[in-house]
Amino acid sequence: MKKMLLFSMFLLLLSSILSACNSSDATTAANEDGKVVIDFFHRWPNEPRKSFYDEKIKEYMEANPDVHINVNSVLNDSYKEKIKVLVSSDDLPDIFSSWSYSFAENLVSSEKIMPLNDVLSEDTEWSSSIIESQYDGFKFDEETYGVPFTVDGKAFFYNKAIFEENNIAVPKTYDEFITALDSLKQAGFEQPLVEGLTDTWAISHYLGTIFERVVDPAVLEKDYAAETGEFTDPGYIQGLEIFKELTTYMGDVSTAMDHEAARNMFAAGEVPVLYMQFAEVKMVEEAGDVEIGFFDFPAVEDGKGDPTALTGAPEGWMVSKTAPKETVDFLKFLTSEETAAEFTKTDGQLNAVKGAVTPDNVNATSQEAYELVTNASSTAPWFDNAVNINIADVFMRGGQELATGQSTPQDIMKTVQQEAQSLRE
Amino acid sequence: MIARKIPLIPTLFLLPSLLFLSIFIYFPLVQNLYNSFFEFSVFSPTKEFVGFASFQQLIQDKVIVAAFINNVKYAVISVLFQVFFALILATILEDKVFRRIAPALRVIYFMPVMISISVIALLFTFVYNPQMGLLNSFLELIGLENLATPWLGNATTAIYAVIAMSQWQSIGFITMLFIVAIQKIPKELYEAADIDGAGKIRKFFNITIPQVKETMFVNVLITVTGSILVFNEPFILTGGGPGFSSTTLSVLMYEQGFGKDNMGYASAIATLIFVLSAIFALIQIRVSGTGKDD
Repeated sequence: MKKMLLFSMFLLLLSSILSACNSSDATTAANEDGKVVIDFFHRWPNEPRKSFYDEKIKEYMEANPDVHINVNSVLNDSYKEKIKVLVSSDDLPDIFSSWSYSFAENLVSSEKIMPLNDVLSEDTEWSSSIIESQYDGFKFDEETYGVPFTVDGKAFFYNKAIFEENNIAVPKTYDEFITALDSLKQAGFEQPLVEGLTDTWAISHYLGTIFERVVDPAVLEKDYAAETGEFTDPGYIQGLEIFKELTTYMGDVSTAMDHEAARNMFAAGEVPVLYMQFAEVKMVEEAGDVEIGFFDFPAVEDGKGDPTALTGAPEGWMVSKTAPKETVDFLKFLTSEETAAEFTKTDGQLNAVKGAVTPDNVNATSQEAYELVTNASSTAPWFDNAVNINIADVFMRGGQELATGQSTPQDIMKTVQQEAQSLRE
Repeated sequence: MIARKIPLIPTLFLLPSLLFLSIFIYFPLVQNLYNSFFEFSVFSPTKEFVGFASFQQLIQDKVIVAAFINNVKYAVISVLFQVFFALILATILEDKVFRRIAPALRVIYFMPVMISISVIALLFTFVYNPQMGLLNSFLELIGLENLATPWLGNATTAIYAVIAMSQWQSIGFITMLFIVAIQKIPKELYEAADIDGAGKIRKFFNITIPQVKETMFVNVLITVTGSILVFNEPFILTGGGPGFSSTTLSVLMYEQGFGKDNMGYASAIATLIFVLSAIFALIQIRVSGTGKDD
């Protein structure tokens, strides 16, 4: 075991060199049989999406016998790390999934991503079938580098039966929300709200939305950009205090749980409220039989922010610069209305292709969510995608420390300001 | 005196290992040191020279101190359990009383060593689970439910919960090394002690310990350097959290490098880890005089 530790250490030390040694023949597009090879990399080794994409690849290869698609997939956090390593080597897959905003921007800064403006304008029938506003997260300096596919947003989901039983109305403001949580606590729910705080991204989703509510949008825009960020607005401290207050309703198990466990508790009816993504609606329905409704993160009374901004960002596909030209065709296939409709039917997650989300393939809750997402006045990207990762990390770790009582909002903001200063330099 | 020629054949035999060592260990070591003077991310095509800036940052970083303290806790507890307790365990297993069941017990203790650390860590997340975990359920069963806590989610217990898992996993390996050492002790010594009327405890302190001294130092070296490098256990169990309460130096290095993309700073941390483990190893080799057998 010690040997293994040593070995993994050396692997880490080695990684910089390995990436240099790892020159491969990604540019040679044809293999021995004269088939064009497309390397496809996505982040869903879990079901149902893995089978869905395997099926789609098979379908595409049958329709295009001269194309061979190699597929590879790893899960979420590992995907983030692996794609970083791949982009720094010459081994970038031809087509791969990507988050929008800062994650996409980082990838684009490697100058290995294919600009898609020409491709999109060549085939407007295809490109206009995707909801226009969703392209924003992939646009940098007027150039589009990705095609949005799944859309998402985050809201508080609640257990309708429990709310009715205890005569609790859907809260409109933050104070009403706290009152509702208090009365749920009195009704015997030790933890009326739950979150898996070991997943630091879940904390960032909370904080991002809270900041949207309490901080002036102009200040946010200035602070979220690494070159001008200062984070001196008192709204951030207020925001962290709001988060700290919310964690007091989560019980002491939250810091030892992940989001999936929290979702399962919600689905089992043990916990009446959960802050979760629309993409998870189907998973909740499959895990339990509670009737759920949702409400947007409530407005904070004296908050200077946008009271109705929706947090959520699309994910989509990117193509590498060196990809064979058939890749674009495969991309169109992946984002076609037919594929999209089938995708939503299989998986339940909403997507950005017009006409692909209909009452036929989603339930009423998802349909309602879809309308909210596509009609939202403004959408804010996930906080960990919106700010530099060094800043986000201080907030995310800080969020855990707030929940366990190791740190104060003031201390966290001091660290954030230091981090922001070193980023400005 | 005849001038010594360099013997050809032994040198040739040494070459392959030397080659591999330099490619996979010495060269990366130098490369890492070189990298720590630059600031770069995996996305950036160029590296920016920053001199000692990363090391300055290293000195001011409070998290480094917290992580180092966690490593020290790891080392101290590991030496106590894995070296001293394992020695006692090995002695008991080699005792005549247990002769019959010793082979079975040896296998049982050694079993965890053969299981992949990722599997073990996942297993222990279930043990420590605050709601349905074995540990909390057990505490409730014996009436100690006020001791039950979310072990991995509590800032004070998280690192100890991680360390405890390591002890469970590694003690078998160290015990095995001690068993081999004890079996090599000449039987005459024990027979002579028997004739002199020495008891079991007396024999343990006056024969066993002096005779396995060499193995003991090797084991201390393995556990201490292992504790400085420890990565898998905290990374899988807690990801270093909550906050930084169970972060170790290696976890911090990984987070800086691959999580936050500060490759230069991560290299500086790697250099620190190397220096620390080298210092500990040198001290131990010095103190124990390993190599100068008898």
